[in-house]
Amino acid sequence: MTTSRDDAAVFTRLFDRHRHAVHAYFLGRVSDPELARDLVQETFLRAWRRLSEVGPLPDGQQRAWIFTVARNLAIDSHRTGAARRAAEDALRHEATTRETTVAGPHAQAELGERLARLELAIGQLPEDQRVVLSMTTVGGMTSRQIGEALGEPPGTVRYRLSQARRQLAAALDLEEDGA
Amino acid sequence: MTSPAGHDLDQLLGMWARTHRLADADAERIRQAIVPEDLPLPATWWSDLNGRVSEAIARATAMPASAVAALT
Repeated sequence: MTTSRDDAAVFTRLFDRHRHAVHAYFLGRVSDPELARDLVQETFLRAWRRLSEVGPLPDGQQRAWIFTVARNLAIDSHRTGAARRAAEDALRHEATTRETTVAGPHAQAELGERLARLELAIGQLPEDQRVVLSMTTVGGMTSRQIGEALGEPPGTVRYRLSQARRQLAAALDLEEDGA
Repeated sequence: MTSPAGHDLDQLLGMWARTHRLADADAERIRQAIVPEDLPLPATWWSDLNGRVSEAIARATAMPASAVAALT
């Protein structure tokens, strides 16, 4: 492939437009942040190699193209079995090392403990719920955008999100009055 | 609904999301790993530049419409 700085500029715009959504998707699928980043890289590497095809597409079709690649990569990754094992390890590790920014050691410890429980509970969600939760909270996407990306009706996305929130609330002893 | 610890589900999920969001530095590392550093200029760079320069010269040397009107 002959590439130029123009191609790089087109790719950078594509990358910036979709990277958070793709990353949030993989985070939901594999739970392991490092593996999620690797899969983001692989997805966009394929987009780079097919830039003449995917670059000119309108936003919605571009997203559909990218998520088709992402879904296939996630399936391949699951087939190896490494993803699931890594996810469990990562969740245990992440839960103990993240987020320590509140005043007072007691409040800090309590918040850390709650976040650890949340992390664990998210890891135990059914995968389809975890994906929409991640794409909503980490990716900042609407149910319509998630539906377009995953090929699902927005109502299904909202239902899964609501189920996920209910399960998390129960795991954290919080009341959840529905999303 | 707020928990005894003072954090509701949305707050906790917000914190969780912030800690997991793809950092700009990580995104840039990924982008750089994909896009080669020393890409050539596009094949049309000379004609593009030439066109832009010619257009700028034509614009700069054109007589304003008001001046043309004053002469006629």
